[in-house]
Amino acid sequence: MNWTVFAIADLTVTWYLMPLAAIISLVYSASRYELPERILKRAARLFATIVGAMAGVFAVLWFFSLGL
Amino acid sequence: MRPARFRAEDGVGLHLDESCGLMPVPPSDDRRRPWEEKNVLIAGVLAYLVPGLGHFYQGRMFKGLIYFVCILGAYFGGMRLGEGAVVYQAPIRRDLKKVSLTFLGQSGVGLPSLVALYQSRRSDTPENHDEFDLTEPISAPFTGRLLTTGPTRDDVSGELVGHIELKTSREGSLPETRGVFHGTKDGQPIELELSGGLKLDRPISGGFQRGLEMHVAHSPDQHPNEAMVIRGSIPRPFFDAFNAPPDPALVQDLHGRLGKYYDLAIAFTLIAGFLNVLAIWDAIEGPAYGFGDEQPPPPNPGPDRTDVPANAATVAAK
Repeated sequence: MNWTVFAIADLTVTWYLMPLAAIISLVYSASRYELPERILKRAARLFATIVGAMAGVFAVLWFFSLGL
Repeated sequence: MRPARFRAEDGVGLHLDESCGLMPVPPSDDRRRPWEEKNVLIAGVLAYLVPGLGHFYQGRMFKGLIYFVCILGAYFGGMRLGEGAVVYQAPIRRDLKKVSLTFLGQSGVGLPSLVALYQSRRSDTPENHDEFDLTEPISAPFTGRLLTTGPTRDDVSGELVGHIELKTSREGSLPETRGVFHGTKDGQPIELELSGGLKLDRPISGGFQRGLEMHVAHSPDQHPNEAMVIRGSIPRPFFDAFNAPPDPALVQDLHGRLGKYYDLAIAFTLIAGFLNVLAIWDAIEGPAYGFGDEQPPPPNPGPDRTDVPANAATVAAK
């Protein structure tokens, strides 16, 4: 029970990384390209990459922490 | 790698892409013209002062809007998450040579963070200290706790939410502060008469809440050794709190209450400062991968090209 509570508390902080990843993706892509549609397309791709990489790391850590 | 770019009006008409291919650049079109026609130095300074402003000046509204919303959103979001005590320059480091690394990163946001330098000077004055009597009456919203103080520990009697009115009288030999609290204790209506023991945090300090403590007047049926105290906070005016250096006790309190959220708040403001460096660079040099009007490199330029000037060929070789 306690473990679940702590895990949920940790995850709430993780949600804050979503807007942060979105902001970084948008600003980085805007500094690379000029055309609005290309900026948005590249930003979406970068956001997916960041979130995917974070989810991958989370999954690996979660797997290795099972039973601890 | 940022491509080296030769402008059309330079007569060169070439573009060196990241793929290191030399391409002819067509004359300025609608995408490139706003950037070329405005003074890049002014655009750079404006982009530093307010994220996105340099791009608005250049007429690049879409990008300006992205920078403005995203960078300032991250900055003020972090400020809110850290309850307003995130961006500051500690008075002990007033000398610019001793600026803290955290503030250095945050200062990339420009004017919204540079206010901290002014606030640091404002707060570091002899007049800015904890107050034990009032020069002017106070009438403000109050949130806090009612405590019963004892010889060894304080017990919480309840959570207070309401309005406080205080005034210092200087008619006697010593100033005496009295007042009243109207509101609720744990949801039940209550009115408390307050008398003496005022301690009000200094007026200019980080955090949008100003700590206040005061004794509750003794009632006739109260034990002589028992004392009651209200301890909480009233709002601090925005300009006295914004980017002002917080008390160490407040920073400790924030670390204790917010934990990793306080670190996250600092990360938000730091990242906002770093991202604005990209925006400034974009305002001055244009987008790193070009304006989208570049043409694909010729299939096989060959070693004996005659349309490539000597200086451009040197750059390509590097």
